[in-house]
Amino acid sequence: MSATGRSAIRFPRISFWRTIVALIFAAGIYSMYARFALGFKAATNLTDPQPWGLWVGLGTLCGVGLSAGGFAIAAAVYLLGLERYRPILRTAVLISFLGYCTVCVGMLYELGIPWRIWHPIVMWNRHSVLFEVSWCVMLYTTVLALEFSPALVEKIPFVRVRELYLRWHHSILIALVLVGTLLSSMHQSFLGGLYLITKGRLDPLWYTPYLTTMFYLSAIPAGLAVTIMAIYLCVRSLNARVDMNILSDVSRVIGPLLLIYGVFRAVDLINRDATRYLWMWREATLLFWLEIALLVIVPLVLLNMKGVRENPQYLYWTCAVIVMGFMTNRLNVSVTALQTSSAAYYVPKWTEFAATLATIAAAVVAFRYAVIYLDILPKNPPQERWMVPGAPAEA
Amino acid sequence: MATSKAILVDITKCIGFRSCEQACKQIHGFPMDSEAKLSPTALTVVEERGDRFVRRMCMHCQDPACASACLVGALKKTDAGPVTYDGAKCIGCRYCLVACPFSVPRYEWTKLVPYVKKCDMCAGRQAKGQPPACVEACPVQASIAGDRDEILEEALRRILASDSKYVKHIYGSEEAGGTSVFFISDVPFEKLGFAAAPKQAMPVLTASALGDGPTVILVGGTLLAGLYWITQRRALVALAEAREKSAKEGK
Repeated sequence: MSATGRSAIRFPRISFWRTIVALIFAAGIYSMYARFALGFKAATNLTDPQPWGLWVGLGTLCGVGLSAGGFAIAAAVYLLGLERYRPILRTAVLISFLGYCTVCVGMLYELGIPWRIWHPIVMWNRHSVLFEVSWCVMLYTTVLALEFSPALVEKIPFVRVRELYLRWHHSILIALVLVGTLLSSMHQSFLGGLYLITKGRLDPLWYTPYLTTMFYLSAIPAGLAVTIMAIYLCVRSLNARVDMNILSDVSRVIGPLLLIYGVFRAVDLINRDATRYLWMWREATLLFWLEIALLVIVPLVLLNMKGVRENPQYLYWTCAVIVMGFMTNRLNVSVTALQTSSAAYYVPKWTEFAATLATIAAAVVAFRYAVIYLDILPKNPPQERWMVPGAPAEA
Repeated sequence: MATSKAILVDITKCIGFRSCEQACKQIHGFPMDSEAKLSPTALTVVEERGDRFVRRMCMHCQDPACASACLVGALKKTDAGPVTYDGAKCIGCRYCLVACPFSVPRYEWTKLVPYVKKCDMCAGRQAKGQPPACVEACPVQASIAGDRDEILEEALRRILASDSKYVKHIYGSEEAGGTSVFFISDVPFEKLGFAAAPKQAMPVLTASALGDGPTVILVGGTLLAGLYWITQRRALVALAEAREKSAKEGK
């Protein structure tokens, strides 16, 4: 906190969350060593029948999906003119940007030969869904960096530089948002498209020619849910000042989006004649219902209640349920729904969890410091209980 | 593709001698110990299924899922028949392992610089006019190699022969849209652990989604630009109205 900055360097206060983060980083550093110095065999439980595991399922699919809030809010504000969401725009873009950064870092863990990560730039195969995904992610991460850049540039102490950059930025902003919206719409869907080639092996409860649409429709509400959660936490622990009505406005959008997604999945199951799998007693069906309950049913019931929509804390937990449901969905598609056909039983190694958690933790820490030091959200003046006695308060 | 090469494996003839395994290991310089499953050092194996021996190897699809999946184009279907792998391009994403309907490609999980390993139908030898090492090594001609059309004809001839004991299906003739490795058998293929691969070329599955890309860009782009134009227009009108109103009130 800025209030303590004046005194000599002090050992940081040991708090619960700091301990947790330190432990995650320690485990993450070991995982990094295991992955890059010892190899896949030592760092993961991946096998030939299960070549993609937690890093793809959680790191990439969830990382990209849960970062969908940025493009949704940016499109709402700039293209649809929904100015009431502007106060949370920067937060949403920052979350997306950091989310994509974790995806890119995760990719280095994920690739067998990570120093060739640039190959898709010069070696093209336009028949590959993964090729399209890699280009979209590269371009959209750049777009997000540009969209977010003013928050950093504003802090440059030279007026001329600042003005020059911001003027240029203003002139390209709408184009950026437009391109960004298209790029994210495309690769959110293409991530589902990756699994189109697993026909006959992906469980029929998930395999549909409309996997692309499914991934797109679920990513937007989940991305918005993450945005709500992050803003709630900023208000609670970082002293940010946000009109909570905006959050309930966002939640009013999430409900219908989830409903559309749920209806779409139901219609798809009926059309494909896959409803008979819904009542079979097997692991995949149980996981399917867990996913549907967390992602669609429970949130729809909760969001339908005025008391939940208008109480930030209840809303926070509802969004947490959506995010859990979303992660269940992505892990089902990428891991569990493929296991029956591949006859593999994959349980991620602890180092896989640690590597992903450490990347996420790094993003959370970066987010926290960005909110503290940059103008992401308006802040209240420091309150009594956070001030160190004798230190002058900085507004 | 007239000179496209293919292999036919006749399961009724295989006696489980494993010469193919040994020849394959020898030509690649792998350790010679026999392995039960395909691995980075066993690109073909003879598996025991009941009292039959089933050889497993890359099927060399006509329109391979792996080649369509590979984002850097390291995997390619050559005109000569083999599906080849260019390790120098590979970035190790392992999407080919996910994509293969026959679960054939293997990954060097234990290595620090891992590559994908799979049979390349001895593309180098075939270019010199030699048959694949495994076929050459077979003491009972359970595997034969040749031009794809001729190999298919031969398979059909054996199946349709008057005293035929074969199942009336050439595995590989329509699996994954057709392959360059065929199996014929007197025991139903599903009982021998053959994958029930879709009867269509796998890249078709993703092609439609990819084909939507340009449409999404065009329609979506126009739509979003249109929305922005409306938003902009409404803001301008609102501004003009407000000005008018304040001008009137000013009077």
